[in-house]
Amino acid sequence: MRALSVHGARVALLAAALSSSAGRASAQPAPQAPAEAPAPPPDDAKVAPPPGATKSEPSPVAEIKSAPEAPLVAQPPTEAPRPLTGFSFGSYGRMIAATDFKGRPGRDADIVAHGSRLDEGNYVELELRRDDYWAITKTSTRVVATLAVGTPLFHYTGQFDVKLAVRNLYLEARNLGGTKLSAWAGSRMYRGDDIYLLDWWPLDNLNTVGGGARYDLGPDTYAALHFGTNQPPNDFFVQQASRPAPLGQIGAAAISVLNRQKLIGSLKLSHIIRIGETGGVKGVLYGELHQLPEGQRESKPQMFETLPGDLGGVVGAQIGAFTGKRDTHLNLFVRYARGLAAYGELATPTQLAQDKTTSGAHEFLVALGGNFEAGPFGLMLGGYARSFRNASAGLDFDDVDEAIVALRPHLFFGELGGLAVEGSFQTQQRGVLAPPSAAMTTPGTTPQPAGPLAASVFRFGVIPFLSVAGRGDYSRPQLRLIYVVSARNEGAKALYPQDDVFHIHNIEHFFGFGAEWWFNSSSYGG
Amino acid sequence: MKTGTIHRALAAAAVIGGAASLGCLKLDDAAPITISTHVDDWRDEVIYQVLVDRFANGDTGNDYNVDRSSLGKWHGGDWKGLEDHLDYIQGLGATTLWISPVVKNVDTDAGFDAYHGYWMQDLTQTNPHFGDLPALRHLVAAAHDKKMRVILDIVTNHFGQLFYYDINKNGQPDNNVYGYGCDKFRDPNDPNNPYTNPSDPSANCLVKNGMSGIVHVSEYDPDFDPRGPVEAYTSLGNSGPAPIIFNNDPATNHMPPMPELFQDVTTFNRRGRTVDYSVGDQLLHGDFPGGLKDVDTVRCDVKAAMVDAYARWVELADFDGFRIDTVKHVEPEFWRYFTQKVRQRLAKDGKENFFMFGEAFDGDDKLVGSFTRNGDVPELPAGPQSVLGTPNLADENKRCVTDGVALNADMLDSLFYFPQYYGAISSVFRDAGGTKSIQGLWEQRPMNWGSQPAKGGVKGGPGVAPAKLPVNFLDNHDVGRFLFREFFHADIAALTAGQITQKDFDGVRRDKLKNALVFLFTEQGIPCVYYGTEQGLEGGNDPANREDLWDTGYVTQPTTDQSSGRTYGTFYQWIQKLTALRKKHKALTHGDQKVVWATDHTAAEGDAGIFAFERAGGDAGDAYALVVINTSSQHASAPGDVGMKMKVGAAPGTMLVDVLADTPASYAVASDGSVTLQVPKLGAAVLVPQAQAAGN
Repeated sequence: MRALSVHGARVALLAAALSSSAGRASAQPAPQAPAEAPAPPPDDAKVAPPPGATKSEPSPVAEIKSAPEAPLVAQPPTEAPRPLTGFSFGSYGRMIAATDFKGRPGRDADIVAHGSRLDEGNYVELELRRDDYWAITKTSTRVVATLAVGTPLFHYTGQFDVKLAVRNLYLEARNLGGTKLSAWAGSRMYRGDDIYLLDWWPLDNLNTVGGGARYDLGPDTYAALHFGTNQPPNDFFVQQASRPAPLGQIGAAAISVLNRQKLIGSLKLSHIIRIGETGGVKGVLYGELHQLPEGQRESKPQMFETLPGDLGGVVGAQIGAFTGKRDTHLNLFVRYARGLAAYGELATPTQLAQDKTTSGAHEFLVALGGNFEAGPFGLMLGGYARSFRNASAGLDFDDVDEAIVALRPHLFFGELGGLAVEGSFQTQQRGVLAPPSAAMTTPGTTPQPAGPLAASVFRFGVIPFLSVAGRGDYSRPQLRLIYVVSARNEGAKALYPQDDVFHIHNIEHFFGFGAEWWFNSSSYGG
Repeated sequence: MKTGTIHRALAAAAVIGGAASLGCLKLDDAAPITISTHVDDWRDEVIYQVLVDRFANGDTGNDYNVDRSSLGKWHGGDWKGLEDHLDYIQGLGATTLWISPVVKNVDTDAGFDAYHGYWMQDLTQTNPHFGDLPALRHLVAAAHDKKMRVILDIVTNHFGQLFYYDINKNGQPDNNVYGYGCDKFRDPNDPNNPYTNPSDPSANCLVKNGMSGIVHVSEYDPDFDPRGPVEAYTSLGNSGPAPIIFNNDPATNHMPPMPELFQDVTTFNRRGRTVDYSVGDQLLHGDFPGGLKDVDTVRCDVKAAMVDAYARWVELADFDGFRIDTVKHVEPEFWRYFTQKVRQRLAKDGKENFFMFGEAFDGDDKLVGSFTRNGDVPELPAGPQSVLGTPNLADENKRCVTDGVALNADMLDSLFYFPQYYGAISSVFRDAGGTKSIQGLWEQRPMNWGSQPAKGGVKGGPGVAPAKLPVNFLDNHDVGRFLFREFFHADIAALTAGQITQKDFDGVRRDKLKNALVFLFTEQGIPCVYYGTEQGLEGGNDPANREDLWDTGYVTQPTTDQSSGRTYGTFYQWIQKLTALRKKHKALTHGDQKVVWATDHTAAEGDAGIFAFERAGGDAGDAYALVVINTSSQHASAPGDVGMKMKVGAAPGTMLVDVLADTPASYAVASDGSVTLQVPKLGAAVLVPQAQAAGN
């Protein structure tokens, strides 16, 4: 079976798997910190991160729930906070039971790589942390272990089966020796700011095993450097073969004919200019370097082919503004990736150039995300336009131009709940011709193709919700009903295989009842 | 608001949204095209046959399931690669590409891949291994920009192995062995073998030995059933027609056929595999070896569907002709309908002079030529097809013609000259047989092949009688390459006996190929060169003759590859020279043909191996050429014998110049109309009047 696009539907699946944490940044009110929760380390406590505009780990200060109407900003401590020590638990999760009104389960109807999160599947992260403060070195450490759980669920299938992933397992040392230098090592989700509506981190979202360092030049300025490796388990990266056991022993021994891994480095410079008491403007410059060494693969017994080394890079920037009140912010992202990096950090490059490298592949995107709240009203927005070209000659199915814009207004009825509606429009072109019209099969006629496949989906959803933590677009936990109707054109239907209901129907419904929560989670940060 | 109204509103929103799609992505060659005529006279063309999968890999993005370790697998060549190398082909002097079939195939079957493109599954889609429609269009347009033409290879006789015969009705494809005791593969002279002595019941295994015969049955590819559609049977006997079960395996594209008409099993003959080509019923109705399912090509709806399926590709990509596969396995009435309706439809589209030539893999000139017979009255089918009896054109028109344009007897414009492959290329140029056989063959052609251009009520066809337009070749993808060492029976015997060295053997093979190429490019008809001939490839029978051309480096002069030690590019410049001669001298393309010397001598005789013919008259004006070829590898020879001279049509006193020679020699036509010259062993001379030779 032919795999779907790296940066099309397939990436959508990948993204769903990798970007499953809520994009809550530090914007949301968090539950009251446990009484025994230690105070944050001094540097983290000085200034609250701008809502939705920072990739800093949520400051422990932010864990202190503010009054609903109060600005979500930390106040300078009146005395030096105590270093953080002890165990803590955090979680992000979303669960839903849904139907399409035709007896089938509800199903994600997006066609773009990063679509609406309304109909995403069940997912939960369980995070255990250990924090210590080492007075002798004036250094704080944190060990983070995040277990992610995906479907199937026992109560749905009756099977003792589950998908697990370790999404974080690292140690971070802060304020090394009392300085402003921090360092970490391990396996880590390494992310910046997201667009909540799309469940997507447009600028930086790396999943590697490696390490990094961060130096805070001041309360609002830092530089972060990271290097990591990864190796998707397929024969582009690793190939095992069988050889006779050595020294005349009986049997076979496995060897790795090919065993190469990607090396990914990133550098981020972030600076905030404060405006007024709580607001500010944030700017980020960002870059990545991707490298893959040369390798050799055994195509047939004792027949070897060389896989060339490869390179890629990313340059990007973010500019954001925030009020510091009620999570109001707006972020603009611009990102250009080339070569190996254009495919994404965990992807296996396909549709290669003549020299079997990713030379010439590129991705350019512009994305916008934000939130505005005033009185009983809130408005979330997200959108992007993206162009991806793989390395192979000419255009093909995996060459994509796409865009989406999504808006979700909220109306709060007091503190306990409200009603949200979400409208989105997504469109996509692929480097293949649109399928023939019905007239194409009329004997004696040959209608000419109409041009590249142009797919689009219009979606509209109604989401009444209960928000026990009080009102706010980012207020969680939340219990909710979700109804979404999706209308797709012929091009969008053509993206699905014959006999798939999405290939057949113009209109699809999604109705579900579910919940979303997050608290005390550090699955993002930098 | 009612639900339906909501749906309509949402659907309308989606449509509006679709109209507002990004539109940033530009597909070259996605816009509608207008087709037109790109060729003036097919006699001026030189065809270059390309097996797309093996020619050049221009787009690694379509390298699905590529495995270059085996010649029976996909190797990655594609239309982009071919387009990238058009200069290489044009530099050779070729003017027309014949490319592998373009439609979607069964991807892989029984361990072999459909890299050749002849296992059709969906006649409406491109083969994704070769590219998409824009890539195909781009190739054809690029060729047209270079004043080159492109011919599409098509198959109407069969589809790929898309179904099996559920003979035992157990709902799964089986390879079964029934009975025990007698084996159909035993000695055919064994009187106890019921399979070779069916008329003698007493020889039946069961009667004679008390044992049932052994029957090997593959439900994918059972033997031909003379009774009709393959019979199902069990241990209790026959049980009616075997159910036809279409495969359904998307991974290998064993899917029901398209267009949808062919999902009706009755559009297939369902008779099982042809085992005896001399039996007309089997030839016409049996599955092609490999389980390729034979289509019922006398059905009117099938005829119309085939016209529609393949005319559509011309309308989509502006092809200039069809090369048609397995012609002799299809009824002449199909060819009458297909060729005429294609011509009529394309003429309406603005494309005329559309060249349709076929492949009848047979040495019987009467059978091969029968598919070009034309005029108003259909000829009797030839060879095994005579089982069809006298054609009834009125009935064909009544049954199948719905557009009011009646059929006449026209069929194909030409065929591959397979009789010449056997009767000249193989037996004379490779194995040094007497050249009289070529003369005999050529003399049959005006009688066996169509004597007037196809008409069919439209201004189409090449405007040249098929008898004057055979498609000549030395080798192709279905036969071993000319240089394949085991085809040189006499020379390899000499090598084995130690009479010649390996170096001599290789040299003789090369010289014989050069000689045969002279013949190919100077005889009447359209020369067709199989890719790789110019590089000196020498693979044996399929699939060894389907080498990767990129291994040669596409060199245009003799070059030794350091890694393999092989020398490539050996014949590029020779072919280049011959195509240039052909282009320069109109006699070689438009002249009629007359043999002026042929001989049965093959030994020490003075004219041993000589074959000489004139090209003059016809549409060549006053152009004239005399071709003299010595096929003997033993010694120089001269046309002439005791008391006999080679008389030519050129006027006495005419000074003829050898335009093939590096140092042109001149020969005067004597007062008695004779020409005397000696040709070195495995040498040739192309003589034209001195006035016409100017400029060489």
